[in-house]
Amino acid sequence: VDLEKIGARVSAACADTLARGETFYPGASRVHLAAFPPKERWDDWTYLDSRRAARRAMLVPTTCFNCESACGLLAYVDRDTLAVRKFEGNPEHPGSRGRNCAKGPATLNQVTDPDRILYPLKRAGRRGEGRWVQVSWDEALDDIAGRIRAAITEDRRNEIMYHVGRPGEDGFTERVLASWGVDGHNSHTNVCSSGARAGYHFWMGIDRPSPDHANADVILLVSAHLESGHYFNPHAQRITDAKARGAKLIVFDTRLSNTATHADHWLAPHPGSEAAILLAIANHLIQAGRYDREFVRRWWNWAEYLACEHPEAEATFERFEEILRGLYADYTIEFAAAESGVDAAVIAAVAEAVASAGTRLATHSWRSAAAGNLGGWQVARCLFLLNCLLGAVATEGGTFPNAWSKFVPRPVYTPGHPGTWNELTWPDEYPLALNEMSFLLPHFLKEGRGHLAVYFTRVYNPVWTNPDGLTWVEVLTEEDLIGLHVALTPVWNETAYFADYILPMGVGSERHDLHSYEQYDGQWIAFRQPVLRAARERLGQPVSYTRQVNPGEVWEENEFWIELSWRIDPEGSLGIRRYYESPERPGAKLTVDEYYAWIFGHSVPGLPERASAEGLTPLEFMRRYGAFEISAGVGAVHEQAVPPAELLDIAENRYGRVYTRAADPPGPNVVPVATPDGDSDGRRPAGVRVDGVIRRGFPTPSGRLEFYSGTLAGWGWPEHALPGYIRSHVHPAVLAPDQLVLISTFRLPTQIHTRGANAKWLNELAHTNPLWIHPADAARLGITAGGLVRVETEIGYFVGKAWVTEGIRPGVVACSHHMGRWKLTTPADGPAGPRQVAPTVDLAADGGQWRMRHRAGVRPYDSADRDTRRIWWGDVGVHQNLTFAVHPDPISGQHCWHQAVRVRPAADGDAYGDIAVDTSQAHAAYRDWLRRCRPAPGHSPDGTRRPYWLMRPLKPGRDAYRLAPDSAARDR
Amino acid sequence: MTTQDAQPGPPGVMPGPGEPVRWLKVIDQTRCIGCHACTTACKSENEVPLSVTRTYVKSVDTGVFPEARRAFQVTRCNQCEDAPCVAACPTAAMFTRPDGIVDFDKDACIGCKACMAACPYDAIFINPEDHSAEKCNLCAHRIDSGLEPACVVVCPTQAILVGPAGGSPAASIVAREPVTVRRPEKGTKPKLFYRGATQATLDPLAARRPAGDTFAWSEVQRGPGQVVSGHPGGGNSSAAALLSYDIGHRAPWDWRVSLYTWTKGVAAGTYLVAVLGTLAGYLSWHSALTVWAAPLIAAVFLAATGGLLVWDLEHPRRFGYILTRPQWRSWLVRGGVILAGYAAVLGLHLLAWLTGSTGLRQAVAVPGVPLAALAAVYTAYLFAQAKARDLWQNPLLPAHLLIQAGVGGSAALLLAAAWWQPSAAAWLEWLLLGTCAAHLLLVLGEAAIGHPTEHARLAAHEMTRGTFAGLFWAGFGLVAAGMTVPVAGAWAAPLALAGLAAYEHAFVQAGQCVPLA
Repeated sequence: VDLEKIGARVSAACADTLARGETFYPGASRVHLAAFPPKERWDDWTYLDSRRAARRAMLVPTTCFNCESACGLLAYVDRDTLAVRKFEGNPEHPGSRGRNCAKGPATLNQVTDPDRILYPLKRAGRRGEGRWVQVSWDEALDDIAGRIRAAITEDRRNEIMYHVGRPGEDGFTERVLASWGVDGHNSHTNVCSSGARAGYHFWMGIDRPSPDHANADVILLVSAHLESGHYFNPHAQRITDAKARGAKLIVFDTRLSNTATHADHWLAPHPGSEAAILLAIANHLIQAGRYDREFVRRWWNWAEYLACEHPEAEATFERFEEILRGLYADYTIEFAAAESGVDAAVIAAVAEAVASAGTRLATHSWRSAAAGNLGGWQVARCLFLLNCLLGAVATEGGTFPNAWSKFVPRPVYTPGHPGTWNELTWPDEYPLALNEMSFLLPHFLKEGRGHLAVYFTRVYNPVWTNPDGLTWVEVLTEEDLIGLHVALTPVWNETAYFADYILPMGVGSERHDLHSYEQYDGQWIAFRQPVLRAARERLGQPVSYTRQVNPGEVWEENEFWIELSWRIDPEGSLGIRRYYESPERPGAKLTVDEYYAWIFGHSVPGLPERASAEGLTPLEFMRRYGAFEISAGVGAVHEQAVPPAELLDIAENRYGRVYTRAADPPGPNVVPVATPDGDSDGRRPAGVRVDGVIRRGFPTPSGRLEFYSGTLAGWGWPEHALPGYIRSHVHPAVLAPDQLVLISTFRLPTQIHTRGANAKWLNELAHTNPLWIHPADAARLGITAGGLVRVETEIGYFVGKAWVTEGIRPGVVACSHHMGRWKLTTPADGPAGPRQVAPTVDLAADGGQWRMRHRAGVRPYDSADRDTRRIWWGDVGVHQNLTFAVHPDPISGQHCWHQAVRVRPAADGDAYGDIAVDTSQAHAAYRDWLRRCRPAPGHSPDGTRRPYWLMRPLKPGRDAYRLAPDSAARDR
Repeated sequence: MTTQDAQPGPPGVMPGPGEPVRWLKVIDQTRCIGCHACTTACKSENEVPLSVTRTYVKSVDTGVFPEARRAFQVTRCNQCEDAPCVAACPTAAMFTRPDGIVDFDKDACIGCKACMAACPYDAIFINPEDHSAEKCNLCAHRIDSGLEPACVVVCPTQAILVGPAGGSPAASIVAREPVTVRRPEKGTKPKLFYRGATQATLDPLAARRPAGDTFAWSEVQRGPGQVVSGHPGGGNSSAAALLSYDIGHRAPWDWRVSLYTWTKGVAAGTYLVAVLGTLAGYLSWHSALTVWAAPLIAAVFLAATGGLLVWDLEHPRRFGYILTRPQWRSWLVRGGVILAGYAAVLGLHLLAWLTGSTGLRQAVAVPGVPLAALAAVYTAYLFAQAKARDLWQNPLLPAHLLIQAGVGGSAALLLAAAWWQPSAAAWLEWLLLGTCAAHLLLVLGEAAIGHPTEHARLAAHEMTRGTFAGLFWAGFGLVAAGMTVPVAGAWAAPLALAGLAAYEHAFVQAGQCVPLA
């Protein structure tokens, strides 16, 4: 290649770029090398590949779909072949700032995965038999639409359910369900983050934290957020910068994570004791008077607390402080040390570090302890208590409510929420559950609580991901319980084996989605788009459906839902079609271009102007750059004074909550927050009076931060009305002497969970999940490094290998949740499944007694990708989740993942990967946990199923909230 | 403070036009979170197949609970100023660019793996698609376009920096902060500097190898030719270090190279012993052994040597590049010339047999003796050029190879003599006895003496008491059995030859069995 000849076209160097008047993207090295080609050349960029061949590419942005961070990607679309050659980061993305984790570049593996599903498939034999025939999209759409239409017209709306894994978008599909008038949204959230969500929500009416790591002085993580979890890449950037600036990092994690290794203080507590430590820190702040008195006085609902719980006390802040000093006095550092096993001196040092942070304390908890333990939701609540004590809420370097760092633009249609209430997802037993009781669905169906006519699983794999997967298998194979199972997935998974239709949907670079996540004090949107469609359109080749450019007949969900909804109501008689009509062309079907053009043109402040400055339409701008920052430095929204125009005929309750008759101005940002009730005269909440000024406050009943939750007190849980410590179901006091705690949820930075399947570069890096065990435990139990171990749970056992390590607390074992995929033995002409990660297994049941054994492991194979001949790994882990019973927390509804287990050397005849499960015991465990509940009938203070103000993805009308007349009498 | 601010705008440091740039790289392990973004970004940018890697993140768990920590090391080519791979490469396929980048030319690579044997960091591999050697080259194709390397761009925490040595944030870190390099004792002058790296990762033998067949989240690759990382014993560190992730590594040279050292020893020794025996008066210039048996045996073994060498190449058809585009510092090239010269000697000697020219025979011996000796000995220099392999850095190796040639030559001639010239057997028997004794003395020294580095000690341990012990002691016993030659006569010669072959294999493989990364 003659560099001279290519000339300036190939140069991204600083001087050349600036001389051309183009954008220079400085990189980490801060030298004359650019991190990315100038954006002015993204349409036609000539570059050298690693073999020094000159290539011409179009650089098309999209959004990574390999976790929830929504980092920017730039696809290099070859101008000659129109194939994606690689994915880099997108420097125009404000959250990820051009950087990615290992999973970003590996998106290419998913595009070229030789085992992916390319055509719609319909079951040919029994469910789970593995026989499939290819069908047309029309056939599948008509069949599914017909069944949904029948369910709607026959008023069987609750028989329609959409069960989503990671949404990867903000509200599109929820609005589809709303348009159908069904309460059919089901999520994975209760096996994931609902514990933490509940903790945050009870404080502030917003269910996620948004820590401003970059400006913090002290960062406290009850998570492994430097390497995994929501926003790991964007957060890792900012945490690392803060650390280099001198910020202190405190990490709670029972096993040695990569995050823990970077901590100034690593605390590895006994699982479930985290809240005890946090309360000891809080107590230290309180007793030493090192909290922000003004913040607590102004923003806590202490007056309500005094009135409700200490009506005899003088209603002064000073009196509250006195009481507060008593509330947590028992949470001494010694107590926390005894509960957690962490050295008291370490806890004292951490308490001192937190005390020194002032308003620059950034805290974060998401899954981890909040998802592991009975009462885990209190971990997040106690963590945020520290912010609330220090006034580090929505401050520079503090923790924000996520809704203020997130922007969900209002779409053209916002259909009203459904009139029905689905008890399969929102059962009366869990009135305070913040999310659907998704993982109990098979037990509900088994108990005869209902059945489903059409059940969509969408990038969701409950058989593998959820606890008690074999109960899922039992229900999924029962056609009386689930009439039609439609799996929307780009790749084979354990649940899709038991589907009736498998509809292939695009991976991250093959679909449209719009989303926004809280990653710093600012708001942005990121646009996921099918990059080949965008490329063709730039070349003047219009594309009407994304499946025209995707591999095979792979489609995307936006267009699928529009098409399906149209076919459910082709005449418009059901009132559904109107939500899918073009805003520009009356009566014509909405296109995705029209859908997003409307949003970008109407609901994203600043975007039309910015686009116009470049001579682009807002949609063209987003197709070109992929992301847009709406605002930075949003700051403390709760402190904003409510404008007089919003205050009409106001009323105020005794605690300063202010209600107005002025209509809620319809803003462009429809980010979900709680919806506190208005007053009894029909006014809506407008703000809260603080020292005489009416301020925005928080979306809670009191408008303040709810240290005291009247909701918990009023719905049968007065003992948990304050942030507190609930002893876990794996507390040492309840463990048998020979039991250990199994942490089954930890993540690796290199894996994607169930959707990853054949990402070969990631699989090569990480493919097995040995059981982490401390040398002392291993020696005591006679377990050798690398030896086979049998791990016994309450419903069965699994056989894995031991990883003997100092990186885990004695008495605790841990097993990463990524690995242990499998595929069933299928007919010779059946689907191959994800051959890089899934061994073939024999799975058989005798009554409820299930046995799984590996039949053939992972090995090299021939495919269109020559790399599959070079697969060198054969050990792809063991599927532990099958052996877990359901553990629904009676308040948050979160599945409490930690397991009390017995670990011993494998028995004679045990083989690696063996699973044994008794589903009748699994059902008994479900019944056992159900008894912990305090159901709405009998505990609801107002005859409703659930506090109306709590967030809910779909919010039925108030009528649907009324408890059914017979529900109080139902046998529990 | 080395935080890179994230403000947009042009950088402060830009070399002027024509100003020479010497690149260096900093990997800041205080910022590295072990996420492997660099690993996959590199796979993508450089289209690196499965089973091989240009860069990865090694991890070592240190300490005891609750003071345990995990140390990371982004592991890749060190861009050495004095790069052993460049010195060892016979065709300049590995080369140092004027800007200091150690780059490679896939079209010039013959696949001899000398670079891999030489690299003290095990950073080079053969690409299974194109069969040429490759490694991290700082994404030279990107740098030439004014772009940062792919790993620098992708890194979430900006833990990887490149910059001109003459002035850049990277250069400031190198100049002002405590930085380290991997294995400085190898004298390679790496231009990749680690900030905040620990000895537990820098020293390939600091951490112990896990006992089972998995690391913390990955299988341990074991099997023939695999070099499993980590110290096989207790670790070379008191810090309770356990290797928790590493990739599979392979020994570059397999049995073909072991066998080549043996065939070449026999080829060199046969002629050398015959001619020296003639000069010493034990044989005449007209005896069968001198006239045709010795050169014929030597020629056959030399042909086998060449065949093995070519067979071992990943690009056998590019064998000629050694002579058409020689890189003269390479002992593969020098050895190639020596072997070519020696082949010519043997050819002329055989020509002298056909033409019956004693004069030619005698004249050829003048260059023939030193060339044969060089052919025997040069491999010591070739092995020494494999800087990574401490076991081979033995000052006695040239002498030892000469002695081995003596064993091979006398044994081969003894067999020939038994058939064609029984009268010559006696002194050959004594010569075989003597060279065998000398060989065993040197071998025993290798086995018994202490070694200056842990690497050499481990290699010797693997040779004498580990994986290759069976071969080693079989070789020892067979050569010892060869010493019965004054009694057993020619029957002992095959024993000595087999023992020599077994020893060569043990020595060549043991030298490569110690992990380097």
